[in-house]
Amino acid sequence: MNPDVARLTARTLLGQRRTILVVLLALLPVGIALLYRFAAPADADPERFAARALLGGIVTSTILPLVTLIFATGAFGQDIEDGTAVYLLATPVPRRDIVLARFAVAWAASLAVLVPSAVLAGVIVLGGGGPGIVTGFAAGLAAGSFVYAAAFTWLSIATSRALVAGLLYVFLWEGTLSGLFSGIRFLSIRQYATGIAGAFFDLPASVFQPRLEPAPAAVLAALVAGLMLLLAVRRLQRWEVGEAG
Amino acid sequence: MSEPAPPAIELRGASRWYGNVVAVNDVSFDVGPGVTGLLGPNGAGKSTILHMAAGFLRPSAGEVRILGEPAWRNPRIYRRLGLVPEREAVYGFLTGREFVELAARLHRLPDPAAAAERAIALVGMEAAASRPCGTYSKGMKQRIKIAAALVHDPQVLILDEPFNGADPRQRLHLMDLFRQMAAEGRAILYSSHILEEVERLADTVLVIVAGRLAASGDYRQIRALMTDRPHAFTVRSSDDRALAARLLAEPAISGIAFEDGRLEVRASGLLAAARALPAAAREAGVTLYEVRPTDESLESVFSYLVRR
Repeated sequence: MNPDVARLTARTLLGQRRTILVVLLALLPVGIALLYRFAAPADADPERFAARALLGGIVTSTILPLVTLIFATGAFGQDIEDGTAVYLLATPVPRRDIVLARFAVAWAASLAVLVPSAVLAGVIVLGGGGPGIVTGFAAGLAAGSFVYAAAFTWLSIATSRALVAGLLYVFLWEGTLSGLFSGIRFLSIRQYATGIAGAFFDLPASVFQPRLEPAPAAVLAALVAGLMLLLAVRRLQRWEVGEAG
Repeated sequence: MSEPAPPAIELRGASRWYGNVVAVNDVSFDVGPGVTGLLGPNGAGKSTILHMAAGFLRPSAGEVRILGEPAWRNPRIYRRLGLVPEREAVYGFLTGREFVELAARLHRLPDPAAAAERAIALVGMEAAASRPCGTYSKGMKQRIKIAAALVHDPQVLILDEPFNGADPRQRLHLMDLFRQMAAEGRAILYSSHILEEVERLADTVLVIVAGRLAASGDYRQIRALMTDRPHAFTVRSSDDRALAARLLAEPAISGIAFEDGRLEVRASGLLAAARALPAAAREAGVTLYEVRPTDESLESVFSYLVRR
């Protein structure tokens, strides 16, 4: 990993307006948790709400992929689109180091906004109860954002429509098709995140039932992330300027 | 006996096509130390050639080498190659100094700050180096891009339309800089669609038209080819008919016509016409009001070179 590329990427992300949007998005679970805390009916089950609706629901299925998608495409897609990537690529820095630096910054930025928000939201809802749920989802989010960041880094280099392709993957593939075809769970980053989270707590199947066991989820997550990074490096090594004149 | 040094830039039968569209067709040339201008109209394939030479486009056929090494998929070449792309975009949030220093760090130079200061001074950007690049004019962006490309003191420099956006003073400054670098033994290849920019700077000219190398050599030879080609003029005088009658006797004049009441004269060459027209006017006692070339566009010059 190249520290200069990493610093540049971090400054790129910090300077983007979309980063404010991402931070607001990441704060959404905290707002929902506060609403629950003050407005939930007396017989509500906090563990069920935290594991199923909030952390296992909106956070893992929507906020995790969106935040990572925005950071990963912001880290790489923009300078490929406007041509500034040439200033990094016309140097002897190995393309692998460039990919890894951008991926690492996109992942770190996603972790920095996702995990504190999810932990805070979990603590607000559970109030110290539900042992392992918060830890489990923190681990699941860390692993999930790792794989999503790798996949979206590859997408950013492979296509100029990475944002659209990423949204289609998240909402069509993982959101809709995975409900119709159970085999899709093996190719769903969301299911890896949920499966890994499930290793840290034990709730009744009616409350929370991951579609993948923790061990296969972790192995698949590692394999897919590795494959995506490999593809990203290979793609950048063959990257061509997209204009002729 | 030692091997001769490989050319700085070498294209051997290089072609590049996009689907059915041929952007560059079987181009071969060597670029050695000195300034070489790549001249051609917009869309001729100049940028494609430069991108292939800089390792940013894979040749569909043929070979492209930098100092004897393949250009494609070989980041090692950037230790000895500097590239100034045509696109204006720079990292707008970095100051000029940060931008050039970043390039120095990426090249792993021992003292990036000092190297950046040197490169910034070369392009005369010291005063604005602390400002973010996003606030720069087009010409300033061009100069800071050149500083970033020069920071590691490359042996080969490739520039795509480097004078775009530069004002006349900056243009002269950059031309002096390139001449000085060439005098130090570096190879500089730059593209332009403006004849004058090439004429004033380049020792050698490569003329690209419709993806092919139409002419190459010393710029004076190319210039002679351009001036010795048939020229057409529209002439306005105190007595067009008397002038036309006298011009018919001039061997340098190959054709006379009246179109829409205007006298159209065709000559075998520019210099021949420049001599024949005033001489004929004087002998016929006619005053010349206007002599205007009708096909002096760069495209017409290029199309003539291609037809030869």
